[in-house]
Amino acid sequence: MDSPTPPPPPPTNDQSPPPPPPATTSGSPTDFLKGVVGKRVIVRLISGVDYRGVLSCLDGYMNIALEQTEEHVNGAVTNRYGDAFIRGNNVLYISAAEVL
Amino acid sequence: MDPSSSIQEPFDLIRLSLSERVFVKLRGDRELTGVLHAYDGHMNLILSDVEETIMIVDVAEGAPEGQGTVNVAKRKMEMLFVRGDGVILVSPPSRT
Amino acid sequence: MLIFSVFKTLTDQRVTVELKNDLSISGVLKSVDQFLNIRLDSIRVLDEARHPHMMAVKNCFIRGSVVRYVTLPAEHVDTQLLEDATRREAATQVKR
Repeated sequence: MDSPTPPPPPPTNDQSPPPPPPATTSGSPTDFLKGVVGKRVIVRLISGVDYRGVLSCLDGYMNIALEQTEEHVNGAVTNRYGDAFIRGNNVLYISAAEVL
Repeated sequence: MDPSSSIQEPFDLIRLSLSERVFVKLRGDRELTGVLHAYDGHMNLILSDVEETIMIVDVAEGAPEGQGTVNVAKRKMEMLFVRGDGVILVSPPSRT
Repeated sequence: MLIFSVFKTLTDQRVTVELKNDLSISGVLKSVDQFLNIRLDSIRVLDEARHPHMMAVKNCFIRGSVVRYVTLPAEHVDTQLLEDATRREAATQVKR
């Protein structure tokens, strides 16, 4: 149950290493998702477009509802939405944009 | 679940937009605005009074990367079914 | 299921199906199934000059997954009925 965390696996020869996880996070992906509801997040789509906003909620398909959303395309804000529904199949990742 | 937000699942956002004008971002650099009348779990949509905007990027000969001119084509449709697999984002009218 | 029902009520009406490869086919909706596969009769391709090989084709079966849009005859769509049915279906979708 509360055994010490195992040593990280040896680095693989991927093109890009994953970003280091924030020191505060632990637990399963589900725990992470529960933890970021109501927080500021960055949602990156497969297309490379980013959506920054407050995560209202999400479901098992990773469909996402965001509030106060800004659409970022290579660094520039291209749109703003009061609310936005993002269809889950387009999502690459959800990243916390504030401390959890 | 945390009751601080009025919606519990993402589809609530869409349900509350029925009979309202919504903005839809689609694959293939297309955007729609229209009045939402129906949707399902695939995000298949039925919209009326639709305006479609298609962004067409023309990269001029010898132009530097990312310097293409964007042409915009617009179309109107009275009543439209949109297949859900092309939907990226749906945004209700801003209630701010 | 809801959208399937909508299409069933539109059988024998003329619709225009726009495919993801930009081909637009107008025809009389003969039948539809749960995957939203569509059978059309008396078809016309909107841009025949660009698709001359389609001129001889009188009817066709369209796989649902290749459809981008279907433009519907607005006078045969009861939007109020659609919104009520959508809310009813949303209420029966129990969350996992």
